[in-house]
Amino acid sequence: MTGEDLATPLDTPDAAGLIAIALKTFRETVLPAVPAEQRFAALMIANALSIAERELTVREDPALADALRRLTGAEGDVPNLSRRLCTAITEGAFDGRLGSADELRDTLWALTWARLAVSNPKHLNSVPPRG
Amino acid sequence: MSAGGPINGTPSDGGLINEDTRPRLESWLADRLGAIRAAVSEVSRLGGGAISENLALTLAVEGGPLDGRHAVVLRAAPPMEVSASLGKPQEFAVLRAAFAAGVAAPEPLAACADAGLLGRPFYLMRRAEGVAAGFRVVKSDAPQPELARELGRQLGRLHTVRPGGPGAEGLDFLPLPRNGPALDAARQYRDWAGALADEDPVLAYGLRWLEVKAPPPGETVLCHRDYRTGNYMVRDGRLTAILDWEFAGWSDPMEDLGWFCARSWRFGRFEREAGGIAGRADFYAGYEETSGRRVDEPRVAYWEASAYLRWATIAIQQGRRHTSGREPSLELALTGRMLPEIEHDLLLHLDAIDGGAA
Repeated sequence: MTGEDLATPLDTPDAAGLIAIALKTFRETVLPAVPAEQRFAALMIANALSIAERELTVREDPALADALRRLTGAEGDVPNLSRRLCTAITEGAFDGRLGSADELRDTLWALTWARLAVSNPKHLNSVPPRG
Repeated sequence: MSAGGPINGTPSDGGLINEDTRPRLESWLADRLGAIRAAVSEVSRLGGGAISENLALTLAVEGGPLDGRHAVVLRAAPPMEVSASLGKPQEFAVLRAAFAAGVAAPEPLAACADAGLLGRPFYLMRRAEGVAAGFRVVKSDAPQPELARELGRQLGRLHTVRPGGPGAEGLDFLPLPRNGPALDAARQYRDWAGALADEDPVLAYGLRWLEVKAPPPGETVLCHRDYRTGNYMVRDGRLTAILDWEFAGWSDPMEDLGWFCARSWRFGRFEREAGGIAGRADFYAGYEETSGRRVDEPRVAYWEASAYLRWATIAIQQGRRHTSGREPSLELALTGRMLPEIEHDLLLHLDAIDGGAA
């Protein structure tokens, strides 16, 4: 965060900071007191807050955009390059390589890991690390 | 479709059954069951239905073939229809066909297509006992090979029903595949994905993979199409009922096997590939006992890939039910956020098929 950011001046808790402390308070003081019938909803709330917190603090890995540039031969940011890659895949440009683990498959993995790191990092641990 | 959470049996007024509708329902039931009188009591809402609404109730019947007290479930259409799910009278017809084929489906009792009676179409079936919640079913420390084998046998019995064949009477409303079940399914998922298939390369890749690798059409049988842990009930380790028939249709028999074994329905017991309860061998062996056909493993692998795309595009739609503002729901919103997990499991599966992991 920079001092130029008018919405959250220096030393003022920002959105990510507010969510982080709200989540900690919810988990430590509210969740233990939630009756069984509301526990499922309470756990969903904690889950939603933790996704939002990670989404606000995530940093994009520059290697991902590089890999998408190599695959598409184009310039742009990750969403733009992703769109180009979708078009190429759908038009059949990669049909000959659909059944092999090559740079395309590796890049799809990298995209998925990056998204999982936000939505559900625990799922990354459900398999041994990929070599 | 998504796990409804451990909220089974929460008492409530039942919503659909109130002072106005109860007398109508009771006289309709008496008439339908050939009884002198029918009374409905002990109504409570059952959890687990993100799509349909299920009420548990006690049905007291005087006279007629069903004379006596019965624990039943009233299953009503959702307030908003969901793509690919059958209407309640059609679901009832499928349930009847499955029950008649010897499948452990809950015994169907009566269906009402007239939305005027309760506000929505519904049907009644006998209530099975046991737990369905996936995380509970997979909890046992030891694998459950006999349960997996029995689930295979049940599926094999269902798959003896063929279009136009014995036992398929009353199922004419189910559409036959047009371009083969595999390509039809892929097209359906592309439709469900909508604009996201142009933005998410994993989705685009998965959909293309399904189109290019689609096996030629083979046999077509009655498939459950949501046959998985979480959708059957177990008591004391034994199967008591197979639930949730609203996605049934004519398809490739291997579709149900691929769906059952998908990683998404192992509830954390990832090493037990048949629904988190046992290895595939037990499930497949039970299937071969009753179906009269061999398990075609490459075809199952194709359909498992198809399963991930199906679940991914259903999750997208669930998320949209929330984001559209039509049905604000934290559960639907979080289901929409499951996409990366499903894509992760898809890539893992494709790597395994290609032997390309490493």
